[in-house]
Formats: sequence, structure tokens, C-alpha cells
Amino acid sequence: MRGTILLKITDLSARVAGKDILKGVNLEVRAGEVHAIMGPNGSGKSTLAQVLAGREDYEITGGSVTYEGRDFLSMPTEERARAGLFLGFQYPVEIPGVNNVYLLKAALNAKRKAAGEPEVDAYEFLTLIRQKMKLMHMSEAFLTRGVNEGFSGGEKKRNEILQMLVLEPKLAILDETDSGLDIDALKVVSAGVNSLRNPDRAIILVTHYQRLLDYVVPDRIHVLSGGRIMKSGDRSLAHELERRGYDWVLETEVA
Amino acid sequence: MSSILHPAAAPQSAALRSFAAQWDSRPADSLSPLREQALQRFLKLGLPTTRDETWRYTNLRSLAARSFVDAPRKARGEIEPNASFALLNKADRAASLLMVNGYPSMPLADGLIDGVEIYSLRDVLRLDPGTMLRFQDPLTDADDRRWTLLNTALFVDGLYLKITSRVSVPLVILHVGTADGDNNIAYPRVIIEVTPGSGATIIEHHVAQGEHTPLNNSNTQIVLRRDAQIEHYRVFATGADATHIDSLTIRQEQDSRCKQFTIVLGGGLLRATLDAHLDKPGASLDSYSLLVGHESRHVDCVNLVTHAAPDTRSNQVARAIASGTSRVIFNSKVIVNAGAVHAESQQSCRGLLLSPTAEIDTRPQLEIHADEVKCAHGATTGRLDPNMLFYMLSRGLDRDTAQSLLVYAFLADALTGMSVASARAAIENALIAQLPDSQTLRNFR
Repeated sequence: MRGTILLKITDLSARVAGKDILKGVNLEVRAGEVHAIMGPNGSGKSTLAQVLAGREDYEITGGSVTYEGRDFLSMPTEERARAGLFLGFQYPVEIPGVNNVYLLKAALNAKRKAAGEPEVDAYEFLTLIRQKMKLMHMSEAFLTRGVNEGFSGGEKKRNEILQMLVLEPKLAILDETDSGLDIDALKVVSAGVNSLRNPDRAIILVTHYQRLLDYVVPDRIHVLSGGRIMKSGDRSLAHELERRGYDWVLETEVA
Repeated sequence: MSSILHPAAAPQSAALRSFAAQWDSRPADSLSPLREQALQRFLKLGLPTTRDETWRYTNLRSLAARSFVDAPRKARGEIEPNASFALLNKADRAASLLMVNGYPSMPLADGLIDGVEIYSLRDVLRLDPGTMLRFQDPLTDADDRRWTLLNTALFVDGLYLKITSRVSVPLVILHVGTADGDNNIAYPRVIIEVTPGSGATIIEHHVAQGEHTPLNNSNTQIVLRRDAQIEHYRVFATGADATHIDSLTIRQEQDSRCKQFTIVLGGGLLRATLDAHLDKPGASLDSYSLLVGHESRHVDCVNLVTHAAPDTRSNQVARAIASGTSRVIFNSKVIVNAGAVHAESQQSCRGLLLSPTAEIDTRPQLEIHADEVKCAHGATTGRLDPNMLFYMLSRGLDRDTAQSLLVYAFLADALTGMSVASARAAIENALIAQLPDSQTLRNFR
């Protein structure tokens, strides 16, 4: 039985700096599903992720997005997060002077507050973090450092997944989380993502390569190109793309 | 004493006339000849105007029409140091000295402190004029030293602290300003001498009590002898109606080390000058300025650091934030005299604007007259990084909290060097109270 509709994107168009990037995106994601959005560079994948998270520099020029039936586009970024959205950044931001653990605790408490729950107990919180850090193969030094400060590319990506594991989102959008990872780190990150899969949650993987999809197997794959979803299919589509390239999708579309 | 005003002088402002009248009411003392010269110079030069180089951002015109009288002397019992006056807690075993409108309160300290000799300047003037004269810098027309002339002429009393060993407990000088009316003026004067090989941590904390606050023309001199060291704080925490002009002079001898914190958390119009002289080889200065512009506050901070000997080093860190309609100015100038080879200096000033109506002006300057020096400076002013902000919002933090955390992180560089943990905590708390989401931030720490 398929889950309830979590996210519904209808004819979504958006522009940044006067340039149209998304030109009518349609997508439906149900609870329990993992979707992969693939596509060539500049196709609008990251824009879609950022628009869904509520980035203000993007102008929505048409269409709608509902999340659990609510108008998502009218909600500010922080409310979307508290409602269960998590965006894993392609380039996680370094914030010197703001401690990693402070940020995580603030994020978790903001979510709990919105849900009418009490703040997390400091001891329980540290126990939770330590447990998730172990899963992500992260060192204790992480606890005392600034957010992503001086982290390697791989460490930053692992930190994104750690945050996701602590915040337990209903909908996770992971933007190129696989880029810049060596094979061992990719396995760790994939295990983290897989540990979160359950019938109540959905995950959208935004990626350029199918490599990640060998470890986190998606239910649906979409090819985004020129600001629109040109083709959708099951996991076999990824292998076909790998073999024939993105041009193949574009050509079949024209034909 | 006969009138100081020259009959042929140009028309004087009400303020200058009132300073002259204060002089006329002062009894003669061992410093009178120097004081008279200082006042004559001040009256001739007048109040600084925006045409004076270091005063171009701060307009004192509104002072000219006022007739100032001495702020009252108050007994210890008339002052009620409330909780907000406390920078330290009992665990610090700190010694505390009270100065009200520049007059030290008796007894001078709660008890004897090992390694600290404490005198009132009134006693020094009377009993040891030689010592008093030893601390007087040559008079100068320089506009950044203008108010020092007036303080030198008119201070009545003050404190002379002689540090004679490594003192482990922090010493707090609580300066309370309190006025009986609108046009009071105070001339607090503090002299701190750290003898060879000695060291201390001294916190000067400026607060106000009561409805009216005097115009405060305060002056502190620090002299570090060979191998001496000091960690000195000046914390300004008066109310929004306070006008305060503070001058700090530091003279450093061989291998002496100074760590200085200038922290502006209060006041309506505040001018803080630091004039440091690295006079002998091996002298080293770290200066941290944490300048918070809040509501309509005006903060004008001037740092002058003179490398007068070889192998001296200075490091200046300034962090300014401005919200509301406040204005923060930070001017720093490093001068490397001829012959001061291998001098090292660094200046880093960063400004953060939190409102479209606030203003920050920073100007690091370098004047080098020696070869083989290593001098660097940088200044940036901007708004909060939108990428950082978005990242935090995307994690569910509300905007106020995210902004406050970023502001706090921005200022942290100027706080980390503080070795008195409780003072740092108290300063952070006062700072946080002036940030957008203070309650959440408190819960963080």
C-alpha cells in the first residue's frame, strides 16, 4: 500500500537574478518513498532544493507546493524546518564561533517547541549526539568546534547527515550529498541515510551520478533538465542514464 | 586664585567660562603651576570640534552652551551599588575600590591586599609631590589629548595604585557617576604603576546612579616598569543620557606586557582614547575593543599605539556592532618611530551593521619611520552573512536567535583573551542583553 502524499509540487517555476531556472516542475512524493532527482549541471536541481527550503533570493514565478496539504511556499524557512523538512546542503556553510552542538541543540529544541514538547535534557542530548556521531564515524573533537569550521569536504557532508539523524525529519532533501566523498565516506553516509528510512518518511536525493543510488536505492528516479522533469522511472532508469548519458533523455523528449 | 581668563581673549563659550570658574575655586597645591598651564592651553584651544582630526565624527557643540559645576562628593553610604554593578562574584575574592564622581571612598579598600599600595591622589599631592610630577606627561596641543589637559587642571582627587608583586586576585575600581543636576562634571583620575616584575588584573567599571549623570572626563595612566604585566579592563556601562570622555595612557618599559580590554556596553555619547607607548625593547601590547552601538548610542574609539623602541609588538583587535540608529567609530593608528626596528604590529577591525540606520566607521592607519618592521592591518564592515543565516534558519532556528548567535560569534574574538572568567561571563551577559533574542542566548551558555 502506498503512503500518504507528503509533498506535491505543481507547475513550479522560479527565477534567480532575472533568469528563469525552474519552468514548470511537477512532482509527488509519498511517505515511505525515496526519490532521486538527477540531471546535468545547470538543470535546476539545486535551485529546486533551495526553493523547497525557502531561500529568499529565489523568486517563485508560478505553481504551488503543498506539504502535508499545507501551502509550503507561504511558510518561512524556519517553519518549514520545524514542520519536518531537512535540507542537506551541497556546500554546508562554515559558521566560526557558533558551536556545532549549540546549533544542533537549538535546532532540536526549536522543533520540539513547535511540536509542544519540552526542551531536550542536556545529558540525554549529549548521549544522543555521541551515539549518532559513532554511527557517522565522527571524532569527539567535533563537539567543541564551530559549525563546519575547518571541516574537510567529507566531514561537512557527514555533519549534514548527523544533523539529519538528530532532527529526524519527515522529508529530507539531500543536495549532492555524495559529491566529494571517497568510497568509505560514501558508505558511511549511505548507511546514515538508510537508517532513517521508514514508512513515515520520505527522502529526495539530488545527485549528478548514480553511484549513491547503489547504496541508497530509490523507488523513483526523475531526470530534471532545462528546469523541467523530462523523464521519470524506477531504479533501472539510473543505470540507463549511466550507460547512455543525459543527452539520451533530451533526444527522446524531442522525438 | 586670580582669574585664569585673559581679558583680551576671544569670547569664550559658557562651558569654557565655567571651567575657568572651577579653576578659580580650587585651592593651590603642589601641581598648580602645571595645572595652570594645562588649563590655559585648554582654554586657548577650546573644545575640540569636528575640524580636529580625531574628532571629525563626534560633535561636542551642545556642550559649549552649558555651564558646568563640580559633581558632588558623596559618602560611601549614599551609594547603593546594586546587583547590576557587580562584574565579579564572591568566588573571585576580588578587592574592590569605590570612586564616586572621581573621589575615592574611604576606607580605600575593604582590607589590605598583598602587593598593592593604595593612595588617594589628594594625599600624594600633599605628601609626595615628586611622585605626582613623575607621572605627568608633557603638555601637548594634540587634539586627542585635549580633555587630558582639562582633567590635569581640575582633578581634585583620585587613586594611585602601586603594584609591588604578582597580585593574583583581580582588583575592581567601581566608578560611580551621580549628579545633583543637569550640568555636573566629574574628573576621575587613576594612576596605576606596576613595579619591575610585578603584575595585576585591574578592572575599571563605569556605572551611573540616580536620575542625572555628570559629564565624565575620566583619565587613567598606566605605567609598566621592566618585566611588569597588567590585564586592564575599562567597562563602560552607564545610561543612555551619559556623556563620557575617557582617556587612557599606557607607558611600557622593557619586556613589559599589557593586555587591555575596552568594552562599551552603555552610555549615550562615549569617547574612549587609548594612547599607548611602547617605550623600551620587548614591550608588548594586546588591545581588544568591543564596541556595542545600541539604540541611539554614539561610540568614538581612538587607539594610538607608538612603537618607540626596537623589538616591540602590538596587536589590536576591534569588533564593533551597531543597531538602531547608533554610530560606532573606531580609529586606530600605529606609529613606528625611527629606530624602532623589528617592530611588529597587527590591527584587525571588523564592523557588523544590524540596522539600515546604524553606521560604523573604521579607519586603521599606519605611520612607519623605521626599516625592517612587520605591520599588517585590515578593516571590514558588513551585514550578517546571508548564507550563514539561511543555514541556521533551515535548521529551524528562529530569525532572532540565528542573528543573535551570529552577532555573538562575531564578537567572540574580542572576548576570548579575558582571563577573569566571571568578568567575562558578566560582560557577556550584559552584551547579550543588548542583542535581539537575549533569553534564548542565555539558555545556550
